[in-house]
Amino acid sequence: MSVNVDPNLMKELRHFGLKDASKCMHCGNCTAICPLSKPENPFPRKLVKYAQMGLTDKILKSPEPWLCYYCGDCSDSCPRGADPGETMMAMRRYLTSRYDWTGFSRRFYMSEKFEIIAISIVALLVGLALWIFHAGNPNMEHAHLNSVWPAPAIEIADMIMGTILAVLLLSNTWRCVKFTMGDLLKKIPLEIYISQAKELIVHFLTQRRFGECTDRMQWLVHLLIMTGYSTIFLLVVVFTAGGIHVIGLSWDGLLFQRDVIYPFFHPWRLLGYYATFAILYGTTYALIGRLKKNKAPYKNSHGTDWMFLILLQLTTLTGIFVHFGRLLDWPMTTYILYAIHLMVAVPMLVLEVPFAKWAHLAFRPVVIFLTKVKEKYYEEQGLTG
Amino acid sequence: MEKKTAVYICTGCGIDDALDIEQLSKLATEEGSVPICKSHANLCSKEGVDLIEKDISGEGVNTIIIAACSHRVMYDTFNFENCIVDRVNVREQVAWSQKPGDEDTQMMAEDYLRMALAKVEEMELPEPFKPEQEMSKDILVVGGGLTGLTAAIEAAKAGTSVVLVEKEPQLGGFQRNVEKIASMPYKDIQDNIINDLIQEVTADDIITVYTGAKITKTAGGPGVFEVSIAQNGTAVEHKVGAIVLAAGWQPYDPTKLDEALGFGASPDVITNVMFEEHCEGGKVSRPSDAKVVENIAFLQCAGQRDPKHLPYCSSVCCATSLKQALVVKKQNPDANVFIVYKELRTPGQAEDLYRKAQEEGVIFIRCQSPEVKVDDSNLSVEADDELLGETVVMENLDMVVLATGMIPATAFGMDITQEKKQEEEDKDEEELDVPLDVIRRSELLNLEYRQGPELPALRYDFPDSHFVCFPYESRRTGIYPAGCVRRPEGITAAQEDATGAVMKAIQCIELTSKGAAVHPRAGDMTYPEFAMQRCTQCKRCTVECPFGAINEDEKANPLPQPTRCRRCGVCMGACPERIISFKNYSVPMIGSMIKAIEVPEEDEEKPRILVLACENDAYAALDMAGLHRMKYNAWIRVVPLRCLGSMNLVWIADSLSKGIDGVLLLGCKHGDDYQCHFVKGSELADIRLSKVSETLDRLALESERVRFETVSIIDYDRLPAILDEFAETIDEVGPNPFKGW
Repeated sequence: MSVNVDPNLMKELRHFGLKDASKCMHCGNCTAICPLSKPENPFPRKLVKYAQMGLTDKILKSPEPWLCYYCGDCSDSCPRGADPGETMMAMRRYLTSRYDWTGFSRRFYMSEKFEIIAISIVALLVGLALWIFHAGNPNMEHAHLNSVWPAPAIEIADMIMGTILAVLLLSNTWRCVKFTMGDLLKKIPLEIYISQAKELIVHFLTQRRFGECTDRMQWLVHLLIMTGYSTIFLLVVVFTAGGIHVIGLSWDGLLFQRDVIYPFFHPWRLLGYYATFAILYGTTYALIGRLKKNKAPYKNSHGTDWMFLILLQLTTLTGIFVHFGRLLDWPMTTYILYAIHLMVAVPMLVLEVPFAKWAHLAFRPVVIFLTKVKEKYYEEQGLTG
Repeated sequence: MEKKTAVYICTGCGIDDALDIEQLSKLATEEGSVPICKSHANLCSKEGVDLIEKDISGEGVNTIIIAACSHRVMYDTFNFENCIVDRVNVREQVAWSQKPGDEDTQMMAEDYLRMALAKVEEMELPEPFKPEQEMSKDILVVGGGLTGLTAAIEAAKAGTSVVLVEKEPQLGGFQRNVEKIASMPYKDIQDNIINDLIQEVTADDIITVYTGAKITKTAGGPGVFEVSIAQNGTAVEHKVGAIVLAAGWQPYDPTKLDEALGFGASPDVITNVMFEEHCEGGKVSRPSDAKVVENIAFLQCAGQRDPKHLPYCSSVCCATSLKQALVVKKQNPDANVFIVYKELRTPGQAEDLYRKAQEEGVIFIRCQSPEVKVDDSNLSVEADDELLGETVVMENLDMVVLATGMIPATAFGMDITQEKKQEEEDKDEEELDVPLDVIRRSELLNLEYRQGPELPALRYDFPDSHFVCFPYESRRTGIYPAGCVRRPEGITAAQEDATGAVMKAIQCIELTSKGAAVHPRAGDMTYPEFAMQRCTQCKRCTVECPFGAINEDEKANPLPQPTRCRRCGVCMGACPERIISFKNYSVPMIGSMIKAIEVPEEDEEKPRILVLACENDAYAALDMAGLHRMKYNAWIRVVPLRCLGSMNLVWIADSLSKGIDGVLLLGCKHGDDYQCHFVKGSELADIRLSKVSETLDRLALESERVRFETVSIIDYDRLPAILDEFAETIDEVGPNPFKGW
């Protein structure tokens, strides 16, 4: 088998944040020091080499970018300053763009301008929709969001958004599975996939592998952001709008912060506070890190990294403001803040989840799961991967 | 000179703890009948030296024996003008390496003192050699390339007149065809400097330049070289003091390369040398149609490090390809440039150029045997990428550049050993037992030397001596190779070489003018003298001299040229008639030293072992063992030799017939990685020793009694075991039956 060298990939990868990979002299210190690199799936050197040689087919098949959590040990120990950790990050961005069949992700990554314009347009559309579709006589005496935007309407909009998101993310994830598995996809019997399914859930929920990295603070921060985000996503996107209501399974006890104000120790409220704290702590830690460039993984920030953190933090902050608006019972302030909150949150969900950084929440556990599936398959075949 | 001898014994450094000083003094005054014998607790102090100097001026002492530390230390303290000085090493090799207060230790010290007394009897003050002709201080530089020009400029800066000979009509050498260079600080490619050098040389009036010229004859030796130069049919004669050989290199012939590299299959497969011709004005274009290059591959080690072609690394081709890759990138930043390498080697600081190339996006592929495929219009390279573990293909290449290696200018022409062997066969004489050096008729110097017309090669036809230990030395005294003729190298190293070689040449001229030897016995004022009336014309000295210092006349009489001599004494060891001697080093002198050793009777059970040790390494290693307070056998008596090559077989016969039980020769490692300061000395000693069995047979003695061991200075820790083990062997063989004869 032979492969053709494509020197143009390096130029392309620059848009995905690749900077110093050309400095690599292939000594392999990075692979040696990485606590996660295994003989059957060695990285980062292999991927750096693929990048230098422009071996796109091999990159598409590689699970390694998703096996890396970017603790930065490799970059710290690189004798040439080739920043292998950042190369792995660029690979994940590149793969995200390649998994995306719409081509939108690619444009998103290739141009910061495009990214900002896309977010602005979605934000404006949301604002416009809220303006056009608000109810005729809002309650100006009490902060009562249902009087401006009735819950069923919001729920329908939420469901439409949710469906689109799910379709995009799932189809992209399916492409991820196809690329990663290649011919093996159909060769491996279903039982093996099922037997390893718990890996998918465990890694989705705990990012256990991240804990094996030397710098465990990164794992903690990541876990805070992830759990905070997931909690609030479930509360707001799933339960508030609760398709539940639309299909006639409405239960007030499950609604999240519309107009009912729960007592302080209500589990919903406590969960909300946890999520708020977790996200704020995590994103602030990461933002300060990126501003100060105080750790290898924070040294190089792609436009999408900033956008992700900023949107997440803004969403949380506006969410807090809405919460206080309601508690203080300031109607107009609450309505405006709610509009802004949605203008930030919706673009974040619509654009980041299927097309950018957020997508890794699906790709990473899926690829780890597939790696386990492959291992199991080879084990049963009596082969060594 | 009438000798008045005095013995001075130092009692410091633990010597008086180990030895009975009084008894030692008594030996000097009574047995040796020395008029003055004094001891001092610290002889190397000012007070101690004053004591000696007072006796020199007051008592007329002119022959001084100092029983103290090794002669390898304090030599400048115990340096007394117009006096014969000998040192008895009772510190490192007696007090520090033997049991203190022991009878055997005392006997050893006494023997060493007896040996010194016998030695100074035979020693004379050296008289420096002055040739009859007037000596020249000019330097001849052979070759007007980058190295030659730099050498000429550096010599002129030091105030030395230079004669520069270049075979081409213009100065500049290979660098004349080069546009951009890779040189310090290697941050980027640079403009060529050759024109500045040419201008500087042409403008300097103490540099005489001959272009389009050839050296037809070089006779004489350092200080008195007579050089005949032919230019445009006219002949010029110059007298020079020393020579810098900067004759340069030739590229390896690409037509000899393996077919897989595709040379000749397409006009677009060229060599790195041809590349320079294709990038005039900094524009690189495809040879076949002058198209601007977009895809180009450089294949490293095109023949280098391959036993079928050039077995050595040419050291400069990696940096050259990096430079050429950058030239392509400068012209067209979007060009795809590949460098396929076995191991990328960037000596010195050239690694920065590699970084630069990486930055510019040059792609590096590690592969041991790339293949060039030429089919119709598609030029491609297939390479097994070792890091990828797969074959990669580079397609649609505009150009493939083969990085060929360097061959020194000395590698061309017939090897005279072949001629000599032929002659010997024709004459049907006894087989030559001394291996001949590779000397090719490369027509660079045309030396009028008996051993051959050019410099002998060390390895791969490079005429170096030993570039780690003795940089710029060749095996012809006063001739210093520099630049790519010495070893393959780049511009920075060549300039360094030129400067270093000029410095060597100046040193040589200065020392020679004083009658002193050059490296490695720099400053030695003695030289070999031949008692010609006893010469049998056996040619051993003229053949064996490692430096070709001895010519011969038609009747095969040796014609020594002392300014070429390095004073190793190999000729002295070779001469079966023992007619060669130095003022302070001769066959009878060592013979008397051996005879001075007291050999106890058989029933005393004190065998004696003579150790002939090379003073450059083995003797130093013995000192080191003492320095580390390592104890070794007390039966040994060590005689330092200038070089083991100066060992004369008669000494072994003398020792054995005197009753000494064994002889151990300690020399340097020889062969490919030799460590001998005189290149051939220990090897020649070993060859000579193969004849010792005749002597042993004649005396009806066991062959185990004589042994040859190679040691280097770092082997000092092995030495006690070697000595003890040999002593054990001798003990097993039993006492020498000649004792008491």
